[in-house]
Amino acid sequence: MSFGMLGLLGLGVYLTVLVGVAEVARRARRDASPGDHFLAGRELGVFVLFLTLYATAYSGNSLLGYPGEAYRRGFSWIMATGFMMSIIVAFHLLVPRLRPVAVSRGFVTPGDWVRYRFGSESGGRALVMGVAVLMTAALANFLFAQLKAMGELAAQVTGGIVPYELGIVILAGMVLFYETLGGMRAVAWTDAAQALLMMVGLATLMAWLLGSTGGVGALTESIRVVRPEAVRVPDARECLNWASTIVLLGLASVVYPQAIQRVYAASSARTLRRSLALMTFMPLTTTLVVTLIGLAAIPRFANLGAVEADRVLPLLLGEWATAGPLFAVAAVLVFLGALAAIMSTADSVLLSLGSQVAGDLLGRSRDDASTTALGKRIAGAVMVTMAGLAMIARDITLWGLIELKMELLIQCVPAFLIALHWRGLRARPAFAGLVVGAVLVVAGVVFDLKRVGGLHVGVIGLALNVAIGLIGSVLDRGGRAEYGQLGELGAEPGSLHDS
Amino acid sequence: MKMPRRWRRRVRTGLLWAIAALYVISIPWYRTAGGVPSVIGGLPDWVAVALGCYAVVAVLNAIAWLVAEIPERDEDDTS
Repeated sequence: MSFGMLGLLGLGVYLTVLVGVAEVARRARRDASPGDHFLAGRELGVFVLFLTLYATAYSGNSLLGYPGEAYRRGFSWIMATGFMMSIIVAFHLLVPRLRPVAVSRGFVTPGDWVRYRFGSESGGRALVMGVAVLMTAALANFLFAQLKAMGELAAQVTGGIVPYELGIVILAGMVLFYETLGGMRAVAWTDAAQALLMMVGLATLMAWLLGSTGGVGALTESIRVVRPEAVRVPDARECLNWASTIVLLGLASVVYPQAIQRVYAASSARTLRRSLALMTFMPLTTTLVVTLIGLAAIPRFANLGAVEADRVLPLLLGEWATAGPLFAVAAVLVFLGALAAIMSTADSVLLSLGSQVAGDLLGRSRDDASTTALGKRIAGAVMVTMAGLAMIARDITLWGLIELKMELLIQCVPAFLIALHWRGLRARPAFAGLVVGAVLVVAGVVFDLKRVGGLHVGVIGLALNVAIGLIGSVLDRGGRAEYGQLGELGAEPGSLHDS
Repeated sequence: MKMPRRWRRRVRTGLLWAIAALYVISIPWYRTAGGVPSVIGGLPDWVAVALGCYAVVAVLNAIAWLVAEIPERDEDDTS
């Protein structure tokens, strides 16, 4: 049997299993409320919560984009292990304060927090909308990247029997199917299965790579021979970019809508603490591995172009598959693991997108079953649009998409992290800061200015955003007077804000 | 034995400061740019230092999460 046919068979088995999981999840649902559909009735336990957090965090970007970036940059991409870990560190700023309020008030979307905290203030509605627009734009970008990665992998694993475009249609259709049928339960359960597949796949590939290169020391030496600059101590610009990326990814990922919804969906605070404690080790077993995979490609494939570099994982797997029948089966497993990671991120993004557009942008009730139905229709429409775009715009690097998404998302940080820790933050200056930060990011895209001396434009935008929010809040007496009139927020205990 | 609340907070704060310090050390800003590194454990020395820092961060952060206090519900929630 050819590698392509073997891949097609594996893909067929995998998709059939997903259909089964979706049906079980559909039967497990309690009602059609948004809380049950979008948050699985808020009853995710440690094991499933950990695996769904893991599968959601490690996406097509991580599995295809990160090896590609390691190939392009060399050893300095070890920064990826640090910035993926910084996400779980930065969650300390969010989870202990947001979780109790979210549970008590029955939040479903990230916008529920912003509406609760700022909704009745002058400028509060604008801030709710601003945050929702940025988060939706970031999620759409994220979905686009997943679809692009899905198409690439489907074509690779089937040896071209399923072309890029058809791969996108089949896999996007499957994600839409099980997400619509089973909601967060189907997403979380498939995530759990996908996470296990991904872990096994990556560990197997790593073992083969290290075995075939003669270990880490031999790998370093072979990289030094073909590209000495990849091994040398990075310059000040690269170091600044390293720090900037840790800040960018750490803070922006904390306000990922799908991550916030998993904070809401945990069955208890204890469950959440344990899941996050486990999650902190995952960059060492995943990001580090994909970084080494990208580095291992440097001596094997000379002079890949910027976009081509995103295909180093499929290229390595293709090479592995030719080593013998057993290796071909193992390569198919790794391919499916990577595909699983991508689909698990796409489903989470899609679920979050539907709930957010219906609840935050269109202002639908979070207790009404019609909101669930609307969220599903929106998810379908967005999926079709993004799939169409992914078919047309194939030549964009995945890391470029990640940076853009994060630079937009990070502008929402003050509305969450500062608002949770400082009672004085006002809606109007927070909104002004968000607009200035977002405009700066968009201007950076328009004028093709990604970084200033290694520092991301989005991080500079965040600094301006925070400064405007803080200074404006101190000066915004009108907003403060109205804040004092707020019944619900005024009754908040001092523990939520400073007192 | 359960750790008193005040100590849990202090331990967590101390751990978070240590994590911040490890992040600063992990970036080789204090090394000569373009310098040829020695090899530690098969990796360039500055990579081995960064990786060592991140491994310690993982352990400290896991402890910080295990001692973190996350109330089940908002304090003024009477439902």
